[in-house]
Amino acid sequence: MFRRKRRNEGKEAERTWRAWLEIPVEGEAYQPPAHGVILLQVLIVLLFFLFVLRFWYLQVHMGADMSRQALANRLRYEQIYAPRGRILDTNGLPLADNRIAFGLSLVREDCHDIPATLAQVAAWTGIPLDKLRDRFQHDRQRTRPFEPILLTSDMDFALASRVEAELVFWPGLEIVVRSKRWYPEKELFAHVLGYVAEANEKELDADPELALGDLVGKQGLEYSYEKLLRGQKGRYRLEVDALGRSLDRILEEVPRNGQEIRLTLDRDLQKAAWDAMNGEAGAVIVMEPDTGKLRALVTSPAYDNNLFAAGISHRDWQELRENKRFPLQNRAIQSTYPPGSVWKLMMAAMFLENGVKPWESAYCGGQMKLGNHVFRCWRSGGHGQVDMMRSIIHSCDVYYYHFAEKLGVDRMARFAEQSGFGRPTGIDLPHEKGGVVPSREWKMRRYGKAWLKGETINASIGQGYTLVTPLQMAVNVASFLNGGKVLKPLLREDEPVEVRGTVAARPETFRFVLDAMKVTASVGTCKVVARKDAEMGGKTGTAQVVKLRMAGQRRLKTHELPWEQRDHAWVATWGRKNGKSYVVIVMVEHGGGGGTAAGPVARKVYDHLFGPVGGNGQKTTQR
Amino acid sequence: MEKRLLSYMNWGLLLTMCGLFLVGVGNLYSASGMRMEGGLAFTDYYEKQLVWGLLGLGVMLVTMSFDYRRLRNLAWPFFLVTLVLLVLVPLIGKKVYGAQRWISLGFMNIQPSEFAKIAVLLLGAHLLARDGQALDWKNFFRVLAVGLAPGALIIRQPDLGTTLNILLLLGGMILFHGVRGYVFKTCLLGLPCCAAFMWFVGMRDYQRQRVLTFLNPGDDPRGAGYHILQSRIAIGSGEIWGKGFQEGTQSQLRFLPEKHSDFAVAVFGEEWGFAGCVALTALFCLFLMSIFMTVVQAKDRFGSTLCVGVFFYFFWQILINMGMVTGLMPVVGIPLPFISYGGSAMVVNFALLGVVLNVSMRRFMFKG
Repeated sequence: MFRRKRRNEGKEAERTWRAWLEIPVEGEAYQPPAHGVILLQVLIVLLFFLFVLRFWYLQVHMGADMSRQALANRLRYEQIYAPRGRILDTNGLPLADNRIAFGLSLVREDCHDIPATLAQVAAWTGIPLDKLRDRFQHDRQRTRPFEPILLTSDMDFALASRVEAELVFWPGLEIVVRSKRWYPEKELFAHVLGYVAEANEKELDADPELALGDLVGKQGLEYSYEKLLRGQKGRYRLEVDALGRSLDRILEEVPRNGQEIRLTLDRDLQKAAWDAMNGEAGAVIVMEPDTGKLRALVTSPAYDNNLFAAGISHRDWQELRENKRFPLQNRAIQSTYPPGSVWKLMMAAMFLENGVKPWESAYCGGQMKLGNHVFRCWRSGGHGQVDMMRSIIHSCDVYYYHFAEKLGVDRMARFAEQSGFGRPTGIDLPHEKGGVVPSREWKMRRYGKAWLKGETINASIGQGYTLVTPLQMAVNVASFLNGGKVLKPLLREDEPVEVRGTVAARPETFRFVLDAMKVTASVGTCKVVARKDAEMGGKTGTAQVVKLRMAGQRRLKTHELPWEQRDHAWVATWGRKNGKSYVVIVMVEHGGGGGTAAGPVARKVYDHLFGPVGGNGQKTTQR
Repeated sequence: MEKRLLSYMNWGLLLTMCGLFLVGVGNLYSASGMRMEGGLAFTDYYEKQLVWGLLGLGVMLVTMSFDYRRLRNLAWPFFLVTLVLLVLVPLIGKKVYGAQRWISLGFMNIQPSEFAKIAVLLLGAHLLARDGQALDWKNFFRVLAVGLAPGALIIRQPDLGTTLNILLLLGGMILFHGVRGYVFKTCLLGLPCCAAFMWFVGMRDYQRQRVLTFLNPGDDPRGAGYHILQSRIAIGSGEIWGKGFQEGTQSQLRFLPEKHSDFAVAVFGEEWGFAGCVALTALFCLFLMSIFMTVVQAKDRFGSTLCVGVFFYFFWQILINMGMVTGLMPVVGIPLPFISYGGSAMVVNFALLGVVLNVSMRRFMFKG
C-alpha cells in the first residue's frame, strides 16, 4: 500500500519532495505479534542458560584441568648441573676431577641459516659436518622450542675465545660452560675409575633425572658410584610466553654437588706398582688383610680414560677394542687364570683341616702314576721325602697329588669356596668374574660328564679347570692373616669392613701356612721378596697355559716359547712391619716363572711400602 | 527535545549498554597488557576504544534526535547507495590481509559492509511494516532479497561473518513478523540444502577447515585448533573466581590469540572466572531484555520491527561470538558487541541503540 502511494505521488516532483519530508504514519493501531514476543523471550532465556551451562562446564567442571594446562603452557624448567663428585686417593690427591670445558649450543629459533651455521661450527671444531647434522637433527626432536641444542661440549679455552669473537655474526649460537671429567693420572687408575660419557637412549629412558647430553658413569667406579657422584641437579623455573621466550627465572631447586669419594688406594703406591710391572700384562694388588682395604689395584696394560670423557673417536675405540693385549680388560677382577702353585696355600690349609698332619710325608720321585697317566712334579728329579712344610717351601707337586687323591675333589671344592674362590669378591666394580672351583657336581652341570680321578690331581696344584682372579687370591691370603675372615675388598675409605664369609679352620692351621710362607720367603722359592727389616711371607706360582705336557717331552725354557704359550707368573705374598701388614699379589700374564717374573714386581712394591732396604733375595729360584 | 520524551526513554537499555561499554573498555585495558622481560607493556587499544565509544555516543544522540519514522523515507535511498558502494568495492576497493572490504576516501577508509547492516535493517523494517499479514511466498522472497543482494556481494569480499550477520538478523525479523505456515515448513526443509550448498559452493577452503577444526580441535593443537584450545584453556583456567584483573596468564603471555578483537571475552573469562562470566551473560540478557521491552512497547509496526532488527543484530553476534570463544561453534570472525575492539562496529552499535532509544522515547506520540 505504501509503495502504491509513493508511485502516485511521484508524478509531481514538488509533492514528492514534500512527502519525503513528511513523517510516514501508520494508520492502524499496532500490537506486536504474540508468537514474535514469545520467540524473543525464549531466545533470551535460552542464551542465558546456554552460556551459564557452558561456562559452568568449562570453568567449574573442567576448571582444575584447564588450570593445569594453562600452567603447563607457561612454565618451563631449566636444569642446573651439579658438579660431579671428585674421586681422591687416600691422601686426598685428585684421581678424577672436574675441569671447565666450553660447549657450543644452538637456539634454532634465533638462527637465520641453520645449515650454514652448522658448517661453520664444523669448520671451527673439526667435527665432521654430517655427524654434527645428525646430532642436531636427533636432538631437535627431543627439545622444546628455544631450548639450546648442544652441538659440542669439548672446546678448549683457546678455541672458545676464538669462536666467541665471531659469535656476533652467528645469531643463535652461544657458548656454554660445562664441567668436564678429567683424570689426571690417566691410565694409572683407568680401570678402577672407569669413565663417563654422554648418556645413551637406554640410560635416558631408564632414569628420568637424566637429560640429553648428561654425562654418566659407564665403567669402573664412575659406574658403580654413579648415584653418589652425580649429585642432584637444581632447576630454574622459567615463565615463558607463547613464543617460548623466557620472561622470568626463579631458582626453584639449588643443585646439590655430587659426593666426594676418598679411595683407599694410594696414588704413589699405585705408581710404584705400575712402574714395577714395566708394561707387562698383568695385575698387582696391595690389600690390608685386617680391613680388606685395597691400597693398590693395578692392571696393565691400560688405556687413557680421558679419551672417553670427551667422546672417543671411532678410530681410537676400534684400536682399543682390537688391541691384542686387551687394554680394556681389568685383569685384577675380570680375568681368570689358573692359579698354579699359589693354590697350594689353600690346599695345605685344607689338608690340615681334613686330618693330614704336618709331619705326614709323601715321597716325590719326580712323578706320580695314576692308571696310564703319569703326573709329573715340576722338578723332574723329584724332591724325595716331602712333608707339608717342605712341600710349600719347594712347591713339590707330588705331595699335593698324593693327598688330594686321598681326600677327593669335593672336599677341596668345599674348602675353596669357603675361602672365597668360585664367586666374585664383591668389590664395588662392575663386571667382576667369579672364576671356577671345579667339583664333581660342577663338571656334571657344565659338561654333563663324570669327574675323572686325574682331574683331581690336576686341580690340586691349581691347574685344569681351576680359574681364579688375582683379587680372589688376595682375599685368600688375607684370610690366613686375619684368622679366616673372607673380606670384601674395599675401595672407599669410609666404607665399613665387610666380612663375607669365614674359612672354618683352626688358628694353628693359619699359623702353619703363614710360617710356611715365611720360610718360603726367606729360603724357599720366594726368596726374592725377603728383607731383614720386615716379617715377610710368600709363595710363587707358575701356571701352565699350554695343556699338560706329556711325559718324555722336553720342557721348553720360557724364552723358547711364543708369548701366548708362556706360563703365567704368580706371586702371593704378605709383609708386616711396625704393626702394619699388607698382602701383595702379583700376576704377570705369560711372564714365565713366578719367582723371576712376578717376584721382582712384588719386591719393588714392598720397597715402596717399607722403604728401599735390600734383603737377601738377590738370587731367585725358578718356581 | 522535550522533557516528556526523556521520561519515556528506555533507561534500562541506556544503563545496560553503558555498563557493557565500560566492562568492554576495562577488559581491553587488561587485555592490552603484555608481559615482557621488563614488565607490563601496554598497547593503546583501550584508549582508542574509549574514543570510538565517545564518538558512538555522539552518533547515538543524533539518531535519537529526530522522529524515527522519518527513517522510512531514507530506507530505499540508503539501501541503493549501499548497494552501489558494495559493487564498487571489488573495483576500487583496498585489499587488506587478502580481503577486499574497504573503499578509500582519501582521508579515511569506509567499510560498505557496515553500512549494509543498517541498510538491510531499515529496508527490512520498512517493508515488513506495511502490514501485519504473515508473509506469503511473494512477500517472503521480496524481503529476503533485501538481505541476499548485499549478502551476495559481501560474501565475495570475502566476509562470511558480516554476511551471516545480515542474513540472520533479517531472518530474525521475518520470523518475528511471521510467515505463512507452508512457507515456514518449506524453509525448515530447505535449510539443510542451503547448508550443503554453502559448504560446497559458498565456503572457502579455510572456512571449511575451520568447521572441521571446530569438530576436532585436538587434531592439530599447534595449528588450526590452536585458537579454540587456547581460548578454552584461558576461560577454563579462570575457574570460579578468576585469576584477577590483569592476572590472566593466557592473555598476558600471548597464548591467547586475537585477544583484543574476537577472543576478548576469553580474557574476561580468565580473569573474572565463572562468577564474572555469569554476571556478563546476565548483563547481556538484561541488555537484550531492554531492547525487547521497546519492541513490545513501540506504538507502531515500523518502530517495533526496527527494534526487532536491532535485537537480532546483537543477539546473533553475542551467540556466535561467545559460542565460538567457548568452543560451541566454529571460528567465524564476528566480534562481541562492546567487548571486542572495533571502531566502526562501536559506532554502528551506538547508532542502532540510539534508534531503539528513539523508538522508546516516542512511543506515546501518535501524531507527529
